[in-house]
Amino acid sequence: MKVIACYSMKGGVGKTAAAVNIAYLAAKCGFKTLLIDLDPQGASSFYFRVKPSSKKWSERFFGAYEDVVKNIKASDFENLDIIPAHLNFRNFDSFLAGVKKRKSRLKSILKGFGKEYDLIVLDCPPSISNLSEAIFVASNLILVPVIPTTLSERTFEQLSEFFDENDYKKSKIIPFFSMVQSQKNLHKMTMETMSGKYAFLNSVIPYSADVENMGEHKAPIDVFAKLKPANFAYIKLWTELAGVIKNDKSS
Amino acid sequence: MFSLAEDLKMNSLSEMTWQINSSLVHDFPSIFSSNFDVGVSDVVPSVLTFLDDFDSHLWKAGYLFYKTSGQEFTLIDPTGKLREIKASNGARFWWDFSGEKKVLQKLIGLRAVIPVISVKLTEQEYLLRNEDQKIVVKACLTKAIVENTTVHYLTLSALRGYKKYFNRAEKSLDNVIDEKINHFGLKTILMNHAAKNFETDTNFEIPIDADMPAEDSVRIASLGLLNSAKLHVSGAVKDIDTEFLHQYRVNFRKLRSLTSLLKKSLPQATVAMLKEKLSMIVGKTNRLRDLDVFLLDEENYRALLPENFNSGLSELYTLVRTQRKEEQKKVANYFSSKIYASEISACAEELSLSSTYEMKAATQPILKVAKKLLINRYHKMLAMSATTNSQSADDDVHALRIEFKKFRYLIEFFIDLLPQKDTAKLVGEVKKIQTVLGNFNDYATQISFLQNYINDDRIEMSKSLSGLIAVLHQKQVEEKCKVTNVLANFFTEKMTDKIDVIFGSTKQGDSV
Repeated sequence: MKVIACYSMKGGVGKTAAAVNIAYLAAKCGFKTLLIDLDPQGASSFYFRVKPSSKKWSERFFGAYEDVVKNIKASDFENLDIIPAHLNFRNFDSFLAGVKKRKSRLKSILKGFGKEYDLIVLDCPPSISNLSEAIFVASNLILVPVIPTTLSERTFEQLSEFFDENDYKKSKIIPFFSMVQSQKNLHKMTMETMSGKYAFLNSVIPYSADVENMGEHKAPIDVFAKLKPANFAYIKLWTELAGVIKNDKSS
Repeated sequence: MFSLAEDLKMNSLSEMTWQINSSLVHDFPSIFSSNFDVGVSDVVPSVLTFLDDFDSHLWKAGYLFYKTSGQEFTLIDPTGKLREIKASNGARFWWDFSGEKKVLQKLIGLRAVIPVISVKLTEQEYLLRNEDQKIVVKACLTKAIVENTTVHYLTLSALRGYKKYFNRAEKSLDNVIDEKINHFGLKTILMNHAAKNFETDTNFEIPIDADMPAEDSVRIASLGLLNSAKLHVSGAVKDIDTEFLHQYRVNFRKLRSLTSLLKKSLPQATVAMLKEKLSMIVGKTNRLRDLDVFLLDEENYRALLPENFNSGLSELYTLVRTQRKEEQKKVANYFSSKIYASEISACAEELSLSSTYEMKAATQPILKVAKKLLINRYHKMLAMSATTNSQSADDDVHALRIEFKKFRYLIEFFIDLLPQKDTAKLVGEVKKIQTVLGNFNDYATQISFLQNYINDDRIEMSKSLSGLIAVLHQKQVEEKCKVTNVLANFFTEKMTDKIDVIFGSTKQGDSV
């Protein structure tokens, strides 16, 4: 089983769109997949029309594996289950601050899913916090969407430094360009600069109204815009990522 | 859709299937409409033709093997796992298939698979959505047409995290469901509506009891064997596989042994008539069986000779194949002829006549007669074995082999009446000797078969033939050397005592 986190310190960069479409495409390819929506806004749960079934179970999230299992819900798609977010998940950080082994808590919980799932996709909230650090430890790969702008470049550098300072494996970080508008010079130049400095995936997700329409359709893009460029871009991204997963030797 | 593999992992999900009263099928899917928004998929039709050999070996071992109208083959093992099997059109034998064909090899051996039954299936899926338009339950209506019967099943599948909706959907079915089906799948449909098509039990069982007069018993048992043999005629005529003729001959061999071994229980005229007719009938099939045996052993024969003999062997095989084709036609014509029908009817009629009890042994209880015979045969074999060794004439070894065969048949005819444990052990010992003696005989038969071609003027073929005969002769000599040993191991003082104990008692079964 592999764990992929869709993570960025910055909001609105396409984390949820990536998590939803990657989880969907992986499941479609036959991977038994679990999408965990860790963002209390619950956007990826919303895209799959899944609501949390019980109130305030966030205290139990880092407790027993059985409690987490009870909150798994089937999506409308074969091989894809979801743990929907709850507004209460906003307390994860303060909860983790008060417990021992907080960095490895998430990893221990996810370990239990090894028999059930081939892939876990984490849709992460935009922050750098105790929860983020637990995510860094638990994940095999950290998929980071980067909008090719100056501000995003700066945020990505901050993440990179944070990994250096805290001895996290930087090889886990897999950046890709997101919401790209190729007609913009700034985007072009930033992509050129950043590609020279970091190992970005070749796949690029364009800025697209179809991605925005996922909210209206409450479905992954493949379901309602199968033949649109944005969908092809996610398929390419997933295919490239699947290659990285295959070669990943981390446990 | 069919859930063929069981979910052995965590928190398995509810899936329930019911047979639906066919007159209420029109209620679907509107029956769910008050609780759900219902999405209906297109109807998926398919025709599955289930295959098995004549003895239903696959069915009996819990396997299902079918092909679709698109000629795609699927093998389902007893746990519900799909095994990959591929084949081109017209595939019948295990070697015609690719993929996991070893299962077929193990289960059907030399048998061909033939269509047993076709099932027409249509499946329609209903997606039940809640107020958020989320799919919360899946349902599938399956219509199966098996011969002239149409049945409907409805399967409800729970989705993880939505159990309460599953319960709600189940409740809507209260008035339309018939019987609940456990572990629904293709097997359920076949078990309920086509099990009889797989019942081709040709195992010979003698419906007699220990005290029945010997003549009555022999008549019943012989008639059973004759009827059992007749079951294989149609397959032999159609040339479905070589086992039909082989099993026909096995039944005939047993029938001839029985009437010959227990000849003192039947009227002399009956014994004479059966001897003549049975020998004549089975004799018509001897040549075809010899040709079959040689063809079936091709791989082994090729392995016996160096590669440079291969072209000669190929010539020989081409010739034998042509001869086999001609011979099969002859046998098929014979089996379809009026002469055969009249000969076989005459045998059946003779055996069906009421007992006349002309002979002294005819009225004696069969078990008593059989046990006495078994002891006598054993002592005859013991005497013969004393003079049989690796230097003995081939004919003496053959004579002993035939005695062992008769001895074993005799045990098997009455096995239900004999002490179970000791007899089974004895049969095991007898089989060991029969293997050695059988191999010896097979080599002799094969040499004799090949000698029929020795005067052929095709040089390459003659070379291969000579080579093959030389190798087989060597193997026959080696096998003969084993004879002394296996006989010494079998004929011990302990065995003689055991035979007296097992067959000396007048009581039935294990009560000795």
